[in-house]
Parts: sequence; C-alpha cells; structure tokens
Amino acid sequence: PICTALTTGRMTDDKDVLRDVWFGRIPTCFTLYQDEITEREAEPYYLLLPRVSYLTLVTDKVKKHFQKVMRQEDISEIWFEYEGTPLKWHYPIGLLFDLLASSSALPWNIIVHFKSFPEKDLLHCPSKDAIEAHFMSCVKEADALKHKSQVINEMQKKDHKQLWMGLQNDRFDQFWAINRKLMEYPAEENGFRYIPFRIYQTTTERPFIQKLFRPVAADGQLHTLGDLLKEVCPSALAPEDGEKKNQVMIHGIEPMLETPLQWLSEHLSYPDNFLHISIIPQPT
Amino acid sequence: LSKMAEESESALQLPPSTAAEGEGPTEVSPETATPDPPSSAAVSPGTEEPAGDTKKKIDVLLKAVGDTPIMKTKKWAVERTRTIQGLIDFIKKFLKLVASEQLFIYVNQSFAPSPDQEVGTLYECFGSDGKLVLHYCKSQAWG
Repeated sequence: PICTALTTGRMTDDKDVLRDVWFGRIPTCFTLYQDEITEREAEPYYLLLPRVSYLTLVTDKVKKHFQKVMRQEDISEIWFEYEGTPLKWHYPIGLLFDLLASSSALPWNIIVHFKSFPEKDLLHCPSKDAIEAHFMSCVKEADALKHKSQVINEMQKKDHKQLWMGLQNDRFDQFWAINRKLMEYPAEENGFRYIPFRIYQTTTERPFIQKLFRPVAADGQLHTLGDLLKEVCPSALAPEDGEKKNQVMIHGIEPMLETPLQWLSEHLSYPDNFLHISIIPQPT
Repeated sequence: LSKMAEESESALQLPPSTAAEGEGPTEVSPETATPDPPSSAAVSPGTEEPAGDTKKKIDVLLKAVGDTPIMKTKKWAVERTRTIQGLIDFIKKFLKLVASEQLFIYVNQSFAPSPDQEVGTLYECFGSDGKLVLHYCKSQAWG
C-alpha cells in the first residue's frame, strides 16, 4: 500500500500510511551459530520481526528457544549477526534489514550467538530498561530538533511511558495518542523547525549523516527528499544524465524524491521520530 | 595545541593529584601547570581552532551537574569522530572515578546521546556559539 501511493504519487489516506509503517514485518529465520555448544541439535526459529522495533525487545522467544538446548555455563549475552556483520540492537530492525539485507531473498537469515560478544561493534543491552532509555533519548533528541524540546518537555512522565509501552506492546493507538502531539507544529509555521533524519550507507566509514535541515525554504516552498540528499549526501543521487546507482530506501520502499520532507517526517518516521534512510546499491 | 590529525586513545597523562583525599573541595585540578597533552591526543585542553574543516577538532564545554566533581579545565578541543563513550572514559579518568561508577552525558540538558554517537554530529546539530555544551552527571539527571 505505501509502495503504490508513494511511488506513483497517488494520495492515500495518511492514517493508512501510519498503520502500514507500524505493522510492517520482516520474515526472519534465526539459526544458532555452529560453534555454540549444544546438548542436542538446535532447530532454526522463525519469527516475523516488527520493522519499527528493536532486536533485543522482540527476541525473548528466540533466546528461550536456543537456551533450551544449551547448558547454563555456555550462555552469556545474546547477540545477532547477518553475513558476518554484528547487528546493532539499538538500530531499528527495519533499518538494519533495508541497509544490509533488502536485496537478498527472504527470509532474513540471522545467526544467533551467546559467546564472544563483539565489544568493538555492539553496545551491551543489559535489560529492557536500557532499550527504553535509548528509545526515549532518541525521541527527545528528535523533539529538540523539531520543537526545541518544547512539546516533549510539556508532556508528563506518564505520556513518555505511554510512548514506550505502545512500542513495547505493539499498540498503535496507544502510541499515536501521544505521538501525534510530537507531529504537530505552530499554525504560523509550515513544518517543524528542523527535520530529524539519519542517512546510512554501508560504503562509508562514518556511522550516519545527521545535520540541521529545515523542511521549508526561505521562500516558503517545502523542501523535498531530493533537496535533502542534494544538500547532505549528493553522492546518493544519480548524476544528471547518468545511470541510477543507488536506492534511497525508507521502510523498505523508495519514496519519490519529490516527496515533501515534512510529509515524510510526519508519516514515515520510526517510533523514535527519526527518518532513518538507507542508501544502498541498486540491485542488478 | 594539537594540530595532528593522528588519532589516539585519550592519552592525557594525569599528574599526581594535589586535591585533598575525600575532604575539601570536590574540584579536581589538572595540576598547577596544565601539562601539554601528547601531540596526538584526541582530546586536548582549550582551543583557538577554527571550526568548519571536518578534520579539525570541535570545542566542547563540560558542565557538572549536581554534586558531580567539577573539572577545572572545562573547555576541550575534541576530534569530531570521538564518541560519547570515549568522552565518558576521558572524564572518568580525569575525575578519577572508578570504572564501575556510571557517568551520564546530556545534550541541551534534555537527552543522553548513545555511547557510539560522534561528538562532531552532535556539534553540528546542537552546537551554539562555536561550541557544544555537554552536562555530565554521576546519576541520571534528565531521564
């Protein structure tokens, strides 16, 4: 549904877009790393992963499944890997998939580890509280950019909690009852102060690009996705008469470059209120 | 001042402390004469470096929250690719905190960036008057 609307330019009901984003799933096959010590054979475990959530928040069943065939002493912190790349639990699942695996066939094949935690590549995830703290920090950072933190600071602690509980329990209505306030802007403006975005590429050293970028130009025109890329990541765009080398992907789709950035921010942000954009090589 | 682009672990050698053990002011001084850091330090005191060039350092101003010890040298030139975790480790060493003690860093007195976040990016988005102000605290100040 999002594909059709955004790639052909036909308007769809904006609320439907919010739901489609929220309920996006990636069929995933978890396999235990071959060098893990088991008491009997470990069967792979299949799961539909929510694109908008975080690995360590939604894989309790995966952990339980594999721990059943292992001895307590062989188990320490769980971590996940795809084709040799440790998966950062603090990146949304949909971002990881788009960036690393979207050109491969489904299901997404993830390897599960319980040993040799890669300290240099991954943050530890000691508890669900750590995920909540990280998530809320991102939400606050996004609002610092959108509203100078005014909206998030005006909310009560219980509203912050509701955002987290909505995400944790996959409750769209519960989440958006609060999140809609973070998507508002003053009547006299045409959008947020700055757009919270991060652009990821596997081909560069830097983890991501994040800069100040206004959704509205000085003349009142709405900036587009193409405007953003031209300004902060020109290498992502095809040269004037050249061949398209990259895909610009959000939630598994390529929005038209003419799409207003303000609209993308309101409808295609992740629950943390950031637009996480992947630049990946055009599949041949 | 360091103009070397060479990266290194936060290598500032701390001189023997002259601060009172336990009593007295909680201010920790980098010593009577601020030692020059090894030329390849990723964090160095003060700065007059112009901003703009992505290879240059950015200015960070560190402010203590609550009863967290105050750093005598508050203004540091930090390489853009230094992470928040790197900065935390540096402050902990400088303040002589034990490894197990936690230290939280906040931007805009509102959010705690991820430990792998680069200070250069934070400076671009949240810097003002040519510097990035960071508040640090031994306990969670702003959630």
